[in-house]
Amino acid sequence: MKVKELPPPIQERLREHRVTRGLRRQSRIFTDTTDFSRIDYGDIILVDDRYFLVVAYTREGRFGVDDQVKPWVPKVEDLESGEKYIVKLVFHETFDITLGPFTIPCYRNPEKEARVLELVRGHPHFMQGKAALDAAGNLVRILDIINGSRLDRVIHRGNLSHKEYFFTELPAILANYLPCVEGIGMLHDHGLRHGDIRRDHIFVERQTGLYRWIDFDYDFYLPEKPFALDLYELGNLLMYLAARGNYYIRDILADPSLGEEVAAAVDPGDYSLLSRNRIANLQKIFPYIPDSLNNIFLHFSLGTEVFYESVNELCADLGGALDQGWQ
Amino acid sequence: MNDWKNILIGVDNTPTSNQGVEYVARIAGGLPGVRMCLLHVYPEPPPDYYSGGGTLDSYRRDQEKKAAQLMKECDGILQRGGVNGKSISHEIRMADQKTISETILACQQEGGFGTLVVGRRGVSKAEEFLFGSISSALIHHAKQCTVWVVSQ
Repeated sequence: MKVKELPPPIQERLREHRVTRGLRRQSRIFTDTTDFSRIDYGDIILVDDRYFLVVAYTREGRFGVDDQVKPWVPKVEDLESGEKYIVKLVFHETFDITLGPFTIPCYRNPEKEARVLELVRGHPHFMQGKAALDAAGNLVRILDIINGSRLDRVIHRGNLSHKEYFFTELPAILANYLPCVEGIGMLHDHGLRHGDIRRDHIFVERQTGLYRWIDFDYDFYLPEKPFALDLYELGNLLMYLAARGNYYIRDILADPSLGEEVAAAVDPGDYSLLSRNRIANLQKIFPYIPDSLNNIFLHFSLGTEVFYESVNELCADLGGALDQGWQ
Repeated sequence: MNDWKNILIGVDNTPTSNQGVEYVARIAGGLPGVRMCLLHVYPEPPPDYYSGGGTLDSYRRDQEKKAAQLMKECDGILQRGGVNGKSISHEIRMADQKTISETILACQQEGGFGTLVVGRRGVSKAEEFLFGSISSALIHHAKQCTVWVVSQ
């Protein structure tokens, strides 16, 4: 399809668009997104009978690694409505993640993300969007953009000490986090996983303050414990929120307010079940953490005798801790 | 409680599984009225199986072919231990929308088995959390039967 074959109003919008005004070539129209690497800034993706102009690309970095462009995830503008979206094109990728001594096979699974989007339609704590097939049968996901900030950045705003943060800000943060955790439980009840629970995969919506999960296309293969990795990462994120960071022995030793005395009190059972050297028994570092909350962390420690079997158990304990509160 | 002489033996391609089969043969091989079912449960294909061009039918065929060989080997162990070949049956299942332990328990309930036997290789806490322990799951959730867990 050529630009001159587009409906006249779309042609006009394309002509006047800031992206194409600065473009030294004519936009191309892609109805088949199989080879997404050919699609470039200023091109149009035609899917779901809508004309999506590529206006930018999303980026993502693993922690400590610079953000990298994701060419299969362009930011687009619907040339009819003017609305902006993120479009995710099919990119099958298999890789291993390492957790402590274990290796877990992971996959990008567009079909799973489409099923999750369908299940969570209208749910306030999940990114919204829909899936549509392109002309070649690729499952393209058209995602609403969440106007807000990553949760891990939100909790680091301000200059509060940890103690001030813990007593003044954390209760509200966890009250917002709890329904997100319940949302993951709902996915599990329907046989689906989030697959990539990380601290930058919750966005805090600017207007409403709602916490919303993003990015559901990762999947993993744990046939006997299909939800264990989600559950573990929910616990990790909870500990990150409570401590406002991850704590390793080196962090304790480097902090003059903690130092060797605190480090010496850390027992082998206080470490995380799967993240080597990360401390799960955070009460040893922050003694004002109440038992009701710290006991949840201990379920994710090497010293635990009892694991959480389901997200619902975690929710019950977190809800209980929040109900008891801390002064 | 179901009849204990109706024995379900979970098997896979591991040395501990073979030890479980050998143990059953030693304990119950010569007893009259004993019926044994060798059960092999395999997981659903991994998520990238279909995108690589595989079909469920081809996956099942491949798994069942491997399981048939496994059954033959386990049959040999039981019969050498004195079990009458006529009292041995086979069941091969995919864990369809279930975990492997849930599938074993479903089979146990359907067949009215009074004894359930599995091998156990022993796993660390972390391994059990992440990958699960089938023997632990069976011990916790089995009903109307005795669970024999044969350790390394």
